[in-house]
Amino acid sequence: MNRRNIIISVSVFVLLTGVVLTRGPHGMRRLQSGFLGMISPFLKSGSSLEKKYREFREGLKKLDQLEQENGDLKVRNKELSTTNQVLRGFEAENKQLRKALQYRESTIFTLTPARIIARDASTWYNKIVIDRGFADGLDPKGDQPVLTEAGLVGKTTVVDDHTATVVLIADETCKVAANVEGTREQGIVKGERASNQAVPGIGLNFLSKQAGLKPGQNVLTSGAGGVFPSGVLIGTVKEFKARELDGHASIIPAVDFTTLEDVFVIVGKTK
Amino acid sequence: MMFFAILLVTMFAALIGEHFIGPLAPHGVRVLLMPMIMFYGALALPLPGMLALAFCGGLMWDALHTNMALVWSADQTQLLDVNVEVALGWSIIVYALLGALLNGFRPLFQRGRWDIHALLAGLGTALIVLLEYLMLTFRREPVVFVFDQEIWWRIGGAGLVAALLAPLFFFVLNYVAFLSGYESQPARGTARSR
Repeated sequence: MNRRNIIISVSVFVLLTGVVLTRGPHGMRRLQSGFLGMISPFLKSGSSLEKKYREFREGLKKLDQLEQENGDLKVRNKELSTTNQVLRGFEAENKQLRKALQYRESTIFTLTPARIIARDASTWYNKIVIDRGFADGLDPKGDQPVLTEAGLVGKTTVVDDHTATVVLIADETCKVAANVEGTREQGIVKGERASNQAVPGIGLNFLSKQAGLKPGQNVLTSGAGGVFPSGVLIGTVKEFKARELDGHASIIPAVDFTTLEDVFVIVGKTK
Repeated sequence: MMFFAILLVTMFAALIGEHFIGPLAPHGVRVLLMPMIMFYGALALPLPGMLALAFCGGLMWDALHTNMALVWSADQTQLLDVNVEVALGWSIIVYALLGALLNGFRPLFQRGRWDIHALLAGLGTALIVLLEYLMLTFRREPVVFVFDQEIWWRIGGAGLVAALLAPLFFFVLNYVAFLSGYESQPARGTARSR
């Protein structure tokens, strides 16, 4: 290979890399969104294959096991329907009382169900990709809360037509204002960079040194900051430690991020 | 050119495939396939090919993984602040530097040696993870360098897995090169024909 070719190829490389490195945040977000859109069909296909394989393995369960499971689910379904009816009654009553007291009507969130099609492959980030994007009503700017029936999952970041990246609360960059149920303690929940598990743990920081939290106490979103609604379960206290300046609690997440398959995105609120 | 296209498609497939391989218990070690293919390309292709692979690989990786937080005004109309942890394109530089290092060993690879390169692929993968860790540690407040056992496992483990998988990947890719008519190890081919 002659020197001229080497010089030309290195120059072209440096030029192109320079163009990429000097992209502004909007250009960067557009590129990320575009690339996510490009790979999403492959991620969806891979996810479907993975799901089919898992279903095939689960399909090998014995018939009596399935009958038992079906029976249990029917009972659970009836229980939930009954609870739902009761709650509807309470909701109507609550609305009437609020009206009578001239309270501002509480917000009701609109949820969009989504399926996880991929999990982040990098070492230091905790993100997932879901099969819903701005064509499905998600905000292209991101920052929309994602949760399950068990508790808080994270928030959207890069949003494409039909896919979106969700940064999990187990990620160090996802900070959530939280309070501890039954106390006046407030703090910030954020993920730990690495812990002695496959999935990083989360911790509640900036508590008072005298907080004295007990294992098993619920940690809920406080609603401060405006991204996450208040009252969503984040997890339970595992251990509390008083540090030099503040208190820190290790949290067991309410959601098991390793087995998570379906989530809900809060896409809007009706007043 | 044909073999370069094959390597590029394989890198893309590896990037997709990585999403379906969970972290390895108990330390959360990641299986990073794409850098391994990039390193193979650095050995099998001449410098321009290696640089092109590094550019595409680094760009794809960053487009998918770079973390950027946008702070909007309350009415969501104005962008107030942007917090970019690792700039889009940094992986291109890292891949190119490591690729250039491996490219220097190309004459040895062409003579049929692969063992040193498998080890270098492992070392290179660990270096990528380490650099990523250093860069985001610099960007995250407070700047505290924690190097406990778990962090080292994640860095070294990724390299170890890559070093163990590299011979298999190198063998398969060498075979693909042979099928596509590209001579990645011409000296070995000459020795055989004798």
